[in-house]
Amino acid sequence: MTTKQQPLLEVNNLKQHFFLKKEKLFGPQQVVKAVDGVSFDILPGETLSIVGESGCGKSTTGRSILRLDEPTAGEVLLFGKNLVNMNKKELRAARKDIQIIFQDPYASLNPRRTIRKMLMEAMSIQKIVPPEQQEARMIELMSLVGLRPEYLERYPHEFSGGQRQRIGIARALAVNPKIIICDESVSALDVSIQAQILNLLKQLQKDLDLTFLFISHDLSVVRHISDRIMVMYLGKVVEIADKHSLFSQPHHPYTKALFSSIPVIDKHHRKERIILKGDLPSPLNPPTGCSFHTRCPFATDKCKAEVPALREISATHKVACHFAENLV
Amino acid sequence: MKQETVLEVKDLQTYFYSSEGVAKAVDGVSFTLQKGETLGIVGESGCGKSMTSLSLLRLVPSPPGKIINGEILLNNTDILKLSDEELRKIRGNKISMIFQEPMTSLNPVLSVGEQIAESIRLHQGLSRKEAWQKAVDMIRLVGIPAPEKRAKQEPYQLSGGMRQRIMIAMALACTPDVLIADEPTTALDVTIQAQIIDIIQNLQKQLGMSIIFITHDLGVVAEICDKIAVMYAGQVVEEGTTESLFEKPLHPYTNGLIQSLPKLYEDQEELSTIHGTVPSPYNYPIGCRYAERCPFATDLCREKQPELLTVEPEKKVRCWMYSNKWQGETHMKEMTV
Amino acid sequence: MTLFILKRLAQIIPVTLGVTLVVFLIMQMIPGDPAIILAGEGASQETVAELRENLGLNKPLAVQYTDYIKNLLQGDMGNSLKNNQPVFEEITARLPITIELAFYSILITIVLGLIAGIISAIRPYSFMDVGLMVVALLGISLPSFWLGILLMYVFSVQLHWLPVAGWDSAKHIILPAVTLGAGGAAIVARMTRSSMLEVVNQDYIRTAKAKGLKGYIIILKHALRNALIPVITVVGLQFGSLLGGTVLVESVFAVNGLGRMIVDAIRTRDIPVVQGGVLVASLIFVFINLFVDIMYRFFNKRMDLN
Repeated sequence: MTTKQQPLLEVNNLKQHFFLKKEKLFGPQQVVKAVDGVSFDILPGETLSIVGESGCGKSTTGRSILRLDEPTAGEVLLFGKNLVNMNKKELRAARKDIQIIFQDPYASLNPRRTIRKMLMEAMSIQKIVPPEQQEARMIELMSLVGLRPEYLERYPHEFSGGQRQRIGIARALAVNPKIIICDESVSALDVSIQAQILNLLKQLQKDLDLTFLFISHDLSVVRHISDRIMVMYLGKVVEIADKHSLFSQPHHPYTKALFSSIPVIDKHHRKERIILKGDLPSPLNPPTGCSFHTRCPFATDKCKAEVPALREISATHKVACHFAENLV
Repeated sequence: MKQETVLEVKDLQTYFYSSEGVAKAVDGVSFTLQKGETLGIVGESGCGKSMTSLSLLRLVPSPPGKIINGEILLNNTDILKLSDEELRKIRGNKISMIFQEPMTSLNPVLSVGEQIAESIRLHQGLSRKEAWQKAVDMIRLVGIPAPEKRAKQEPYQLSGGMRQRIMIAMALACTPDVLIADEPTTALDVTIQAQIIDIIQNLQKQLGMSIIFITHDLGVVAEICDKIAVMYAGQVVEEGTTESLFEKPLHPYTNGLIQSLPKLYEDQEELSTIHGTVPSPYNYPIGCRYAERCPFATDLCREKQPELLTVEPEKKVRCWMYSNKWQGETHMKEMTV
Repeated sequence: MTLFILKRLAQIIPVTLGVTLVVFLIMQMIPGDPAIILAGEGASQETVAELRENLGLNKPLAVQYTDYIKNLLQGDMGNSLKNNQPVFEEITARLPITIELAFYSILITIVLGLIAGIISAIRPYSFMDVGLMVVALLGISLPSFWLGILLMYVFSVQLHWLPVAGWDSAKHIILPAVTLGAGGAAIVARMTRSSMLEVVNQDYIRTAKAKGLKGYIIILKHALRNALIPVITVVGLQFGSLLGGTVLVESVFAVNGLGRMIVDAIRTRDIPVVQGGVLVASLIFVFINLFVDIMYRFFNKRMDLN
């Protein structure tokens, strides 16, 4: 293989701690450590997915990268420049390269703006398309996402969920980004529409040389669209690996339980189901040591005491578990 | 062995009337449910599956909805003809229902124990003390630790998974004959979903009830249902045993749906899709409602609506391809997976 | 919660200062000299001048005000300019009457308002509903003194069912309480109605129906308890405007409460009495609001299901 590529996006020890209003006069300050020391790279042209269940911090990670929520600590390097300490002007310029598509197609579009106005605004803010060329560019965007140019004059409420999601994609593409964060972008869609949008995203990635950070709770979708996958639990990364390695041999007990919980149509692929005991611990009071130990079938005293580091077990596979090798 | 039919639905039609016109949400749905069986009703949003389940207990908001036709026979009594008083005796007692959103389906200002106990007092005539004790037992039965303490708590003190367990406890407290589960796990994480499905299946074995499971998740029905009915645009388009449905789907919609699911254990270059969108319930086409999206549609399909045909024992499909009138070129039987 | 309460109690200081300062300044701005009014018609200029000196009205304004505050901190509200009686005693004599009136008015507000609101909500858009809501609209729109005089005319003057004025028997309470409570009842009725209509569409009501519960149990046990939560806050806030309304109603019905005391004192430019009366009313208002806010927070904990 040739020399290692420079990552397009580098996240180092990202933390997002939310401080709650003090209820008791002399009580301790309550913190929700939504993202607690997350690090990963994304190479140009690849798709990295973040999976996990509610409360794991995947959406918060996406938002913190864009500083939609200001990170408490850590670095976010886009093309080597740290987004976290940029001023407003620099950040706005940087945002041209990194865009986001949200989950709820019904809430993320301004109901009082036509599609045309919305796309024009996106282009004007970033000043990348001179006014004479904006019309042509808008028609091009609409055709890229598979919508008719007449739809430019319409308002969001006139479209279906799938169509609105296409509009969201068009808006993200309007500024020629290098990397797009998809925050549960297909979760609210019906299966048949979801398939259309996933195909579209894959096509666009090929044609426009895009990089994706794909956030989802749906492992089948993630399998289809990713090159590498990162699994999160209670604000921390528990496993990160390339797709095939993760699916053929998940090491972390949580990942294994997650995979085994998914209902599978094909009987031959059904495995013994690992049913986790109990519920997700409260983020206000996370467990000591490994945050998964309260539900892990293999937990030992070491797990209760020591936080496991995210360590490499192969060139493309990292796990945060004291006993990763033994548990295959 | 002849199975006992517990519930029989015939030609159910539930329409919604508004200034936009008439929405034919449920338009001629029929199915049967045997004792101890789990029937899955699947379909995407807008197909009418939720409205079908609400119609079974006459919970359709009316106005604007109205059940204008059909029979719902519970052990040969037509639910649609019962008086309000008789209907109340069935709800929560002979037929129970659990809903999709455990967050909002429980009363926020009453303890969960009370919400279970009131059902027991009403239908089984137990005293306050006895009913409370039974409620605590039910909470224990659904796998919640420290049930005596939990029973006194209010919904906001419980997690989503626990609230759904409480809903199950509430629904099963009077050992109904039929449990209707309307998307009970859709709002839950997949690991919690696994727990809930486990509980439902165990309790079914213990209590011997029949279940109608409504969902859009084909994976879930594949795991827990004996029989499946696929709905599209207010109608049942295919019905069959789980195994045969997935092995050999007959209706092009069923096939399209199964094909468009991303596979968990296989790489795919491109997902197969169903192009187009669902027709509006205010304005269904005259012929087959799936014709405009169907790769095999012929003029016959666009002109006349097919009936639900029994193709084999236990297998029904609403498609001209399986009638003797078919003159189309491609036969789907040759195109299945 | 404790922090919250302490913060709110600390607000009493700026409220007190603000109220007394505003009242003081307004009283200075109203034309009319208390000494002249007290001395009466035909009094000589010397008498008036002497009176002014004795009442301390010649001191500079800033001094008059700071003297007042100094005395207040020691618990002394000063003496009435008119009869030289301690303001504090006048207030303690008349406050209980106003509180009694307020109590019965709130009772009417709650009882009438809830019943009307529930009936309307059970059969929305029916004759009953529309009728009740029109009456409620009238209740909010009619000025209380107008309503008071109207009721007095009909029930006392024409029908002789109830006494015209005073505060001696149970019968005396009815008209003033109804007059004062009517506006609040109307607001509560509308609030209850819309809150019930919203609650009745919630998922948990559907669950209650699915369990086969009887209709009245669903309304009273499941729906009402939730619907009342915003209504309670409205009732609490009503108490504040009620205090203001006592001024008018007590005057119309000649009830010897705090409100009437303040009105009379304004007329005679009896500054200490006005200050004392308004201050007490404001402090009552602050405490009621605090109580309502605490109740609201208590209920809100359960509503926050996310």
